Amino acid sequence: MDEHLEKHLESRAEAEAIERLLRETESVRSEIRQAAASVNWDALPTVIADRALVAGDKAARQAPDSRSWPWLAAFRMKPVLAGLAAGLVVGAAAMYLALRTPGVRDGRDNAYYASGEFLDRAELEMARRNTVDYLEKSQYVLLDVFESAGEGPVVPASVRSERARDLLQKKQYLNGQLERFQMAKAKAICDQIEMLFRELAQIDDELPAAELGRIRGYVEERQLFLKINLVKKELQSGV
Amino acid sequence: MRKIALTICFALVLGLGGAAVPAYSQAATDDSLFREAKLLVFDKSFKEALEKIDELIDRFPSSPLAGQALFYKGECLSGVGGRERDALRAYKSYIKLDDAKPSLVEESEGAIVDLAFDLFADGNDSALREIESRLEHPNKVVRYYAAYKLSLVSDKKEAAKAAPVLSRIVESEKDPELLDRARIALLRVSPESLKSAEERKPRTVTTARLLRIRVRKAGMKEPAFSLNIPFALADLALSAMDEDDKAAIRKKGYDINKIMNELAKSKESILRIAGDDGTVIEIWID
Repeated sequence: MDEHLEKHLESRAEAEAIERLLRETESVRSEIRQAAASVNWDALPTVIADRALVAGDKAARQAPDSRSWPWLAAFRMKPVLAGLAAGLVVGAAAMYLALRTPGVRDGRDNAYYASGEFLDRAELEMARRNTVDYLEKSQYVLLDVFESAGEGPVVPASVRSERARDLLQKKQYLNGQLERFQMAKAKAICDQIEMLFRELAQIDDELPAAELGRIRGYVEERQLFLKINLVKKELQSGV
Repeated sequence: MRKIALTICFALVLGLGGAAVPAYSQAATDDSLFREAKLLVFDKSFKEALEKIDELIDRFPSSPLAGQALFYKGECLSGVGGRERDALRAYKSYIKLDDAKPSLVEESEGAIVDLAFDLFADGNDSALREIESRLEHPNKVVRYYAAYKLSLVSDKKEAAKAAPVLSRIVESEKDPELLDRARIALLRVSPESLKSAEERKPRTVTTARLLRIRVRKAGMKEPAFSLNIPFALADLALSAMDEDDKAAIRKKGYDINKIMNELAKSKESILRIAGDDGTVIEIWID
């Protein structure tokens, strides 16, 4: 190797240039190490996230003040250090974006997804709400029957029949959910009401007042309103 | 005549029909059997009710109530347990009747779907055809219910066959209850179909927007809870969140409803709540 360098001047000059470059690189490396050591890497994401997310204003998005980063100003942007600084900026920006839109990280950012466990909980919540809704609407229909039997306004029989049919359809969906989530008390009262609606749904013509009065007696005898209210309260309080 | 018969029948069903005067003795007998059977069904005494109905059909095959009795026979057979196939036959016989009542036909179709679902769960693979064949039913009530039930079967490939009907519900249905059911069913069987269906709808405040929730436990890189769903299900999603997570949000003094309103109003805003135990909850919409 030494022999070769002695004979070829061009090669020797090249070797000397490489040695100089290595020496300079080493000196820069130590500066980089020194600079990197001054950064609290654990706290950096929090600092960036806090600035980006909590503040949320333009000031937080501005480039950091050089006074708060004295180690950066000290290097006067030498080319290699400029690269390091650019790397940090890009890294910080990437982290900002990652924290600003956390979904990107799991690679399924725009697709819909939810776990089976979550969907079960959502269905349970839906069953609770829909049962309360079903019971409330049932009360209205039954109250209408009550009013028809007395002196109150009468909803046309065809409308009542249509409402009863709607409620029967809703009940169909509730059946499976109430069984699945073991909401036995709610199911029992909903089943009883269903029998009444099944009858009302079949009668499009006006019922004589006497017959409506009998329905009233039937509902009162079985204390359906009291049962409906109790179950509704239980469901609303999440019992 | 039909009206009078129905009125008398209804009065009898309520157990208060003693004053009603039967037109002829046979009517009184089949009526009374029918009334007793219905009351027994009401009390869920299916075995006893079934005996009354069988007696009615055997003794009075030409009674105007014999047809309707078939529906209640299906109810009783479903209720007693272990006779699902017989129940299926009873309902099918009822819907074939010329004088079958539309509301009871709808109920029978739904009951057939339910029974087929149970039979499939018990290992009877062919039962699923009863549900699949109803995906094209002319009555949308039947069609929708068949799709909803099919989405719940354990065989994911079979369940995915419900996706086209469920997608149509999402695209065209106005009833919020049906819409939410269809959305959740699609999230189960074909989330990509839900996304397509939502995107085909005209964009409003609540459609084609994505609600994202991430819950990260302290020191964990991957979220412990991750959710991407249509914004329309946001309220339901937040209600269905884990109680511990909800408690963490409440502890921080946040009101869920307020959060959702704020997020809905401001585009691409993010809410980041850090719990005392290091849990971080991120909620945002885009």
